[in-house]
Amino acid sequence: MTVATAGNRWVARSPGARLAGRRLLTVIPVLLGVTFLTFVVMNLLPGDAAQELLGVNATPAEVHQLEIQLHLNEPFWVRYGNWLGGLFHGDLGTSLTSGQNVTAILGQRLPVTAELLLYAFVASILLAVGLAVLAARRPNGVADRISMVVSMTGLSVAPYVLALVLIYVFAVRLHWFPAIGYTSLTQNPEANLRSLTLPAAAIAFPLFAVYTRLLRADIVEQMQREDYIVTARAKGVRPWRVLCRHALPNSLFGLITLVALNLGTLVGAVAIIEPIFSLPGVGAILISSINNHDVPVVEGIVVVFAVVVVLANLLADMLYATLDPRIRYERSAA
Amino acid sequence: MSAPLPELLAPAQPQGVPAARPRGRGRAPNLRIWLPAGFLIALFCACFFWPLVYPVPKPIGGSILNSGLPPLSPGHIFGTDPVGNDIFSRILHGGQVSFEVGLSVTAIGLAIGGLLGVAAAYWGGAADTAISRVLDVFIAFPALVLALAIAEGLGPSELHVIWALAIFSIPAFGRIARGATLTLREQTFMLAARLSGTRGRRMITRHIVPNIMPQLLTFSLLGIGVVMILEGALSFLGLGIPPPEPSWGSMIAQGQQTISASPDLVLIPSAFLFATVVSLNVLGDALRERWANPMGQSR
Amino acid sequence: MRHLLPGAAALLLAVVTAACGGGGTSSSGTTQPSTAPKAGGSLTVLEGAGFAGDWPAGLDPATNINGAADQSYMDAIYGELFELGPKGKIINDLATGYKFSDDAKTITLTLRQGVKFTDGTPFNAAAVVWNIQRDLKSACTCKPTWPVKSVTATGPYAVQITLAAPDGAFIDQIFDSTADWIASPAAVQKMGEKAFAAKPVGAGPFMVVSDTYSSELVLKKNPGYWEQGKPYLDSLTFKTVGSDEAAYEAMLAGQGEVYEDMSTPSLLKLAAQKFNVENQLSTSPYDLQLNTKSAPFSDKRARQAIYAATNFAPILQHVFSNLYPVTQGFTGPGGICYEPTVPGYPPYDLAKAKALVKQLGGLTVSLGTIQNLVAQETTEALQTEWAAAGIKTTIHNYPLAALISQFTSGKWQAMVQTAGSYDPAAGVGVGFRFSSLSPFSGVHDPHLDSLLNQAAATVQMSQRCALYNQAAAYIAQQFYGPFYFGFAPANVAVKGVTGPGLTEPLPAVVVTPTILWEDVAKNS
Repeated sequence: MTVATAGNRWVARSPGARLAGRRLLTVIPVLLGVTFLTFVVMNLLPGDAAQELLGVNATPAEVHQLEIQLHLNEPFWVRYGNWLGGLFHGDLGTSLTSGQNVTAILGQRLPVTAELLLYAFVASILLAVGLAVLAARRPNGVADRISMVVSMTGLSVAPYVLALVLIYVFAVRLHWFPAIGYTSLTQNPEANLRSLTLPAAAIAFPLFAVYTRLLRADIVEQMQREDYIVTARAKGVRPWRVLCRHALPNSLFGLITLVALNLGTLVGAVAIIEPIFSLPGVGAILISSINNHDVPVVEGIVVVFAVVVVLANLLADMLYATLDPRIRYERSAA
Repeated sequence: MSAPLPELLAPAQPQGVPAARPRGRGRAPNLRIWLPAGFLIALFCACFFWPLVYPVPKPIGGSILNSGLPPLSPGHIFGTDPVGNDIFSRILHGGQVSFEVGLSVTAIGLAIGGLLGVAAAYWGGAADTAISRVLDVFIAFPALVLALAIAEGLGPSELHVIWALAIFSIPAFGRIARGATLTLREQTFMLAARLSGTRGRRMITRHIVPNIMPQLLTFSLLGIGVVMILEGALSFLGLGIPPPEPSWGSMIAQGQQTISASPDLVLIPSAFLFATVVSLNVLGDALRERWANPMGQSR
Repeated sequence: MRHLLPGAAALLLAVVTAACGGGGTSSSGTTQPSTAPKAGGSLTVLEGAGFAGDWPAGLDPATNINGAADQSYMDAIYGELFELGPKGKIINDLATGYKFSDDAKTITLTLRQGVKFTDGTPFNAAAVVWNIQRDLKSACTCKPTWPVKSVTATGPYAVQITLAAPDGAFIDQIFDSTADWIASPAAVQKMGEKAFAAKPVGAGPFMVVSDTYSSELVLKKNPGYWEQGKPYLDSLTFKTVGSDEAAYEAMLAGQGEVYEDMSTPSLLKLAAQKFNVENQLSTSPYDLQLNTKSAPFSDKRARQAIYAATNFAPILQHVFSNLYPVTQGFTGPGGICYEPTVPGYPPYDLAKAKALVKQLGGLTVSLGTIQNLVAQETTEALQTEWAAAGIKTTIHNYPLAALISQFTSGKWQAMVQTAGSYDPAAGVGVGFRFSSLSPFSGVHDPHLDSLLNQAAATVQMSQRCALYNQAAAYIAQQFYGPFYFGFAPANVAVKGVTGPGLTEPLPAVVVTPTILWEDVAKNS
């Protein structure tokens, strides 16, 4: 992400604000689209929750009776409408499998997933910034070569394989971290962090690899290309200062954009990593809920992730537009 | 799903613009292009042609009497799996699947997603908004749910895996193509072309596509690696290529159930997957550098 | 992947234990406690996801769709009316005796006196009657399948159950029935069903501290438990893990002391080096069901060809390291009426198989099974063997829902499943796979039906066994489905933990044995 003036910061100007306002309005159709699509997809699956609940020995009559009880016999639109209506009241429905309130289930499990993802993000970003800065300071130097090898490895390794290796090395052999399970933050902060370290590492390593590469590439490019940098250095500003005060903040914009864009892939990541470590988060129940045709639970998870992803992408888009004024002005004038 | 899409190319300069300041440091070394390219070509040929040329045991239907042989056993250089299938053969045939899935999904993404992205950026306005919203929906949509639905509803198979992964791939290419085209649109030479009367298809084919192609191609190379890993992830969840047909991902998924007892079952396909994806990434990277520095500077 | 009681049992392992026969093999490293078990300590037990590790609907007997798959938790919280103990002994837990009427249609149970639920309310006949009636009325397919005409309390501690048809296997059937677990009626009424399912109240050795569905269940000792000095443990925690491998690693990392139902052969060998691996007595042989209602197996010659083309000994040796016994019928060494060899069982004969296939003009088979490592390896091995006889096989590994629809739609041809139970008449016993009334059977033969019904109705054990032997011989004669081996999972425990099922073999009621948690102790 290149900017023309030194020390540029995002400033709200009216074309920008107008753009933001319009974009915010588009969030709602996107969310509707996502939830609707999920509903369609879930209903296309063969079988339904009643069949799953009653299982092998159920007679068709029994299944039908349970369907009526669970409102599964009502037409598609009615069911979606009911769910949507409930959503506006903050009621996400009840799980078809366990009868528990979906909001309660999410309330129990989301904090685990959220903490895991936050841990992974913070770690990956901090480490990426550190390594990228070191690497970019002297391109093709020792730190740079190490950063390239590390990020290449991170991009190429499958997270599920990494998780298995981490468990074997750090849990089974070294006993530094637990192999499975989760201790809540309120119960024991130290055990909580330890129980999340390996799963966060498995998720963070590929992210860290990508971010390091992006940051490093961006910083180097700025250091070599941008007039303002050359000017600053000609004025005698020390390289580190130039790097940290000018190049890095600008590059961080690009990084944040990338982070936002990648949020959507995380549903898959947690769905794989959480069961490996037996963490009681939403990823762990996503697969089983889909298999059980537990539509309210699946929709609940989808809604939460969709909201986060859409808002993050909105933010990224706005940042993108801010950074390249040509785009912003062109689009708002159109 | 698990691997973030390496959208590293968004800010890269399109080819039409000369670099600001030449700094000499030599071209991106040929080695970084030809070594991984050579490896990939060799692996590709091995997977698809070796079994035709040189007799290799079948990847499925192995005799139970050969079960669980260790690597370097006579006739089975990588050993056998618990039901007696030769692992080397499974690596070759699994590689075929991985390449097929990787290439197909990326090709679909490139064709459809690329087209959508270029169209959206070129037309602008309402069309752009509409297409972008649709792409947004798919990006926000947990594609895992869709992939699961496809696999469960239609039954797991290679073709369905390709469809399911294409759902990931199209929006990603769409975004990249759109972003690249948007940036390109504002370049002076593009304004010049517009002013001189170039329109529509000529604009797209003669100016836009050739200039964004390098970006898209390098993104494709990186994307192939991501798709291969994702195919493995789907197999891990039980939705990929159905056993007993081999794919590297499903070999890893099956092998991890007994990794303490026979780690080779996981390590060997993991090593191949890793080597392939690393080669793709190094190659993609080197090509990107080459194409972004036509004057021969390196960074 | 969630399994339901009969489905899970049948699909994974139906374990028919021959208690009379005994003859089980216990693994190396079995220790019989020579001193009295030590009281105190906490134990973490790991359970595999997809079966016992799932309790998505809570732990109320009337609504727990997983039924007997969750027997470990149910037994710990509720105790049982009758327990199946080592060597097939019927142990009186919350009930102290039973009596059959002469026509085997009425069973009278006597209950233990002086027992209280953990909420202080009394355990008595009224509570048991309330529970059984509630179980029978529930919409869950986990509900008991007896043809019950009435359940009444004939005294403060006596319950009389009257059936519409004679049932000599009633007590054996109680073990895998939800009627074995008695909930506190007062608690259900006070808390409401949903809250009760999350924090159930029973009269068992442990009480619930916290419950995260399908993830973790924390229990603590019931101070008012009826049996003095028990349970030995102070607390018991159940944790769900993803697979046998994950459990093994967790145990190596010191995060669990017991893992129930490990079935991966290579890991069993590895685990035996560091832990106690207790192989249970099989009560449920793997068998190949053949759909006789449609082609190709409506033709007897095709079925015969399958028998002739199958040689299970090498598969047993190479895939399963000879851990399990070959079986020829639906009974196994851990259950009643075990018959190791069935007279007239068609042997492996490749030449005959080839000739039959030629006669038929070729044979193509669609072979299905549940998505499970052992089942998959078995089908792959069979595919290879049959190829030698000219039989072309395609393998399908189904998740549960798809498997069910294969059966109910009648489209299946051959399925590798398990048949049998501790008592063939119980739960997913032989009827589930071979009776014409079951949607999961490929056989519709009135003669076989009458044999099985007669056997179920008789109280006399010797008579029942004779009838089951006849049935097994008849099945072999008609080539209804070859049997393979008596698979039984093993329980893994760190050294120092003792108890039935952990350091001595326990017959499995349905698939897996119900560990008697009140007898488990941590001695180191």
